[in-house]
Amino acid sequence: MERYLKKDAPFELYEVVLEGAKDNELKSISDEMGLALSVEEMKKVRDYFEKLGRNPTDAELQAIGQAWSEHSCYKSSKALLKEFIFSLKNEDFIANEDAGLMSFDDEYAYAVAIESHNHPSAIEPHGGAATGVGGILRDIACMGAQPVVLVDPIFFGELDTDYEKIPRGVKHPRYLFAGVVAGIRDYGNRMGIPTVNGITYFYRGYTGNPLVNVGCVGIVRKDRILHSRVGQAGDIFVLAGGRTGRDGIHGVTFASLTLHEESEEESRGAVQLGDPITEEPLFHACFEANEMGLVEGMKDLGGGGLSSCVGEMALAAGLGAEVELDDVPLKEEDMAPWEIWISESQERMMLAVRPGNVDRVLKIFEKWDVLANPIGKAVKGSQIKVKYGGEVVIDLDLNFYTAGPIYRRKYTKPRRKMEEFTPPEPENYEEVFLKILSHPDVASKEWVIRQYDHQVRGSTVLTPMQGVVGHESHGDAAIIKPRENSWSGLAISTGIAPRISEIDPYWGAWNAVDEAYRALISVGAGLHSLSDCLNFGNPENPHRFWEFRESVRALGEAGKALGVPYASGNVSFYNESPAGAIPPTPTVMGVGIAEDVRKAITSAFRRENNPIYIIGQTGAEMGGSIYYELSGGKSAAVPKVNVETLKENGDSLLRAMEKDMVMSAHDIGEGGIAVALAEMCFGGKIGADIDIGKIGRMRADIKIFSESPSRWIVEVDRKREEEFRSIVKGAVRIGRVGGKHIGISDFERLLFDVSMERAYSVWKEAIWKIMG
Amino acid sequence: MKLEDIRVAILQMEGTNCEDESYLAFERLGARPEKVHIKQMLGLVEGEERSPFDYQILMFPGGFSAGDYIRAGAIFAAIMKSRLMDELREYVNEGYPILGVCNGFQILVELGMLPATDGISSAPQAALTTNDSNRFECRNIYIKHEKSSNSAFTSGYGKDEVLLMPVAHAEGKFTLDAHKEKEMLKKLNDNDQMAFRYVNPEEPEKDDVPYPWNPNGSVENIAGITNPDGNVLGMMPHPERAFYNYMVNLQEPENFGPGAGIFRSVLDYVSRKF
Repeated sequence: MERYLKKDAPFELYEVVLEGAKDNELKSISDEMGLALSVEEMKKVRDYFEKLGRNPTDAELQAIGQAWSEHSCYKSSKALLKEFIFSLKNEDFIANEDAGLMSFDDEYAYAVAIESHNHPSAIEPHGGAATGVGGILRDIACMGAQPVVLVDPIFFGELDTDYEKIPRGVKHPRYLFAGVVAGIRDYGNRMGIPTVNGITYFYRGYTGNPLVNVGCVGIVRKDRILHSRVGQAGDIFVLAGGRTGRDGIHGVTFASLTLHEESEEESRGAVQLGDPITEEPLFHACFEANEMGLVEGMKDLGGGGLSSCVGEMALAAGLGAEVELDDVPLKEEDMAPWEIWISESQERMMLAVRPGNVDRVLKIFEKWDVLANPIGKAVKGSQIKVKYGGEVVIDLDLNFYTAGPIYRRKYTKPRRKMEEFTPPEPENYEEVFLKILSHPDVASKEWVIRQYDHQVRGSTVLTPMQGVVGHESHGDAAIIKPRENSWSGLAISTGIAPRISEIDPYWGAWNAVDEAYRALISVGAGLHSLSDCLNFGNPENPHRFWEFRESVRALGEAGKALGVPYASGNVSFYNESPAGAIPPTPTVMGVGIAEDVRKAITSAFRRENNPIYIIGQTGAEMGGSIYYELSGGKSAAVPKVNVETLKENGDSLLRAMEKDMVMSAHDIGEGGIAVALAEMCFGGKIGADIDIGKIGRMRADIKIFSESPSRWIVEVDRKREEEFRSIVKGAVRIGRVGGKHIGISDFERLLFDVSMERAYSVWKEAIWKIMG
Repeated sequence: MKLEDIRVAILQMEGTNCEDESYLAFERLGARPEKVHIKQMLGLVEGEERSPFDYQILMFPGGFSAGDYIRAGAIFAAIMKSRLMDELREYVNEGYPILGVCNGFQILVELGMLPATDGISSAPQAALTTNDSNRFECRNIYIKHEKSSNSAFTSGYGKDEVLLMPVAHAEGKFTLDAHKEKEMLKKLNDNDQMAFRYVNPEEPEKDDVPYPWNPNGSVENIAGITNPDGNVLGMMPHPERAFYNYMVNLQEPENFGPGAGIFRSVLDYVSRKF
């Protein structure tokens, strides 16, 4: 029978006959309309309309499809997030809406958010990454907060992957990498928000499905915080910004399916188009209206478009809504009402405004040449009614519409036997050291970093490249001074450990938190909040869901032990392609507070003859290390975090920094002690000699390349050594700064002694050589 | 006139994005800056009409005005040129200063207000073209103050003083018409229009300044120039991002940084002249 009945209207509107539809018919309706709803979910919808005694319109079904997608309602993840993450709150936690809000000081709060834009970036790297940046900026701005920094952890396959090994329908990692960096650059730089931190990660597990995570932090005076909801019944919905078009239709459903060979053909229209020069004045106008006290609530239009935005703003206030789609400015004529309702066109913001203030708000937008139109109002009750051309196209109870299903997915631990192989100790340490320095995950990220403006706004105190001008090296975290009249700073870091997560997702997540924590300590800031961007495979696969559960469990334990909440988070499932699922990838973003930015510490060695200390235990836990990847080693023994030691060492190091004893500091990460030491030399344009004999009884290669967490190398003011040792109890002196070589010995056996400049050029040029 | 009476217009349109830090640079020194939308200057915002002569200093801050999708600064300049050129000419002739940083420098060149070797030109005499590296680059570099006479924007700097400053642009290569390059460079030098040149900090006296010290490939390492009278300055490096030391390095972090001199000099100039 015909299940789509065209309604008598001068535009595309169908009644969809769910009545009496059998399972296979429900399935094909979901497929044909691109709803991505399961048969069970379709049945729920059918039963609901049966009770109402009518069939749904296509617009209603599309709205439900959006609202019930994994992306919008977190149906697979919510139960676990509630169990492990959401309960972590402290007195500085204010809210978690489109962005998380944390108290910065008495007067100001910071807003923080991190999101993924993985699938769009796999199809169209430039546009996918650019709109990812645009979206996260709106999440911050809609809280009333001025964005002050962007961070971008990005993940690709190996840059030198053979073309033959790239699955059909997948783009080469080099192309994706270049496109994503350009997209972030072109949007972030034009918006004038500094990009100060990030991660680039190259691993075979991302060949078929790259990841683009974007984070942002903003600052807002507490009395100007806006919530993502309307104020009261009668408030007018003012839609501001770009026009609504056919770009980004079904973006959220696209994000909730795995990638496949034909994704490009089928889903090109799901990738949104970005235009920072629409968003930039949009923000000016929104902030101006907010500063004048004319806005009751604000929310950005992202996944699910108007459908999610209006529904959630009304629901959060316990109200309903009436909307006239005729008043929505369109990019093209003849759009069907369902398309207008769920389009994810970019650069749009919804403001809730009291009727008496609407004219003043519209005048502000007019000055900035930004479109703004009243399109509806909040009403009592819980019904959402949408009209187009005089026809009611949607008439749904929000309690049903937005109450997506919640699943308790099955999880089982995959049975894997990890081979163990300890590679022989290298005969030529220098060669191995230089090889590690040129590994793209270790090598200088200057190629990426310099394409991002990290100093616009004039508030960046520590940039991502630190040290002697023209000879800079990687810093651990960036510091921003967000307020003119305060020396307090926001420190921003990120942490990941996919090679470890692939072996053990629980410890991988712990290592990610550890990295975010210790990177903040390195610059002199204590961790204040965490945010997580959880990138995983198909949650309907019990093995993948076990990985998710293990990761979330670890994140929850870590947050609890460190006494900080997850201010904000995002889940991205279905990161799979014909090449398989990605490694479990919880990206952790840390925000720290630096009490006085004038005391910020960089990673670059400062002065000849200062002693070098190591803090933290080095262990033979080589699973997931760069050294094993390059030397063919295999081990299930991954680095484990002892959180008590982490806190103790971190706290004491901070105390020593406050007393100005620490001249430079760098956390030890990929490539171990050898790489951390080298990076400190590069930034300082000076050499160093260390002897790692005293740090433990292990083979020398294990000692210098181990990636055990919770460790730092620090340069101490040589006049204050004793004081330093009395504060940082576990610190071990391993050498001194000076000379023109990087030398490492083990109980006086020289492992290597390389010219610093030579090592520097190997490290500096590796990615340039590949990318040009 | 008194410092606190000096009004500064920080001009902006969509895509201008260095207005906040530029505003702060003047405010910190006690002047009265105001962010002015170009539509206000054109009289298109009812009740908020503005004229250049409401201010003693105009500044075109950095950013990507109108997206810079055609040629950097071209659209901002075209709007100014079609509606405000006579006022701007008069403004400069009366000795009022105009500062353009990064995108602002590009706008001033598009307007013919720089180099203006023989007065404001109707067509651009120079261009800020794509960096030799063919990409946007953000880094700290060193520039050397080249002016030998006392000038509106640089009186606070000694001759040959070397300054640490951030650059962040894709189109900053100062370029002249190949046929006129020699002649133009001679004029620029003879007129004392060279304000700042990029230098290699290890050999600041040398004319050969390799990448990345000359970050974009500018001819004669030009980082900034003035008009012959010295009251219009355009520069690619960002002095407002080096206003305090903490913005560029952590030595004496709260003291004035290398960029503050531009703002201090021009305020000093205005307070003495008007």
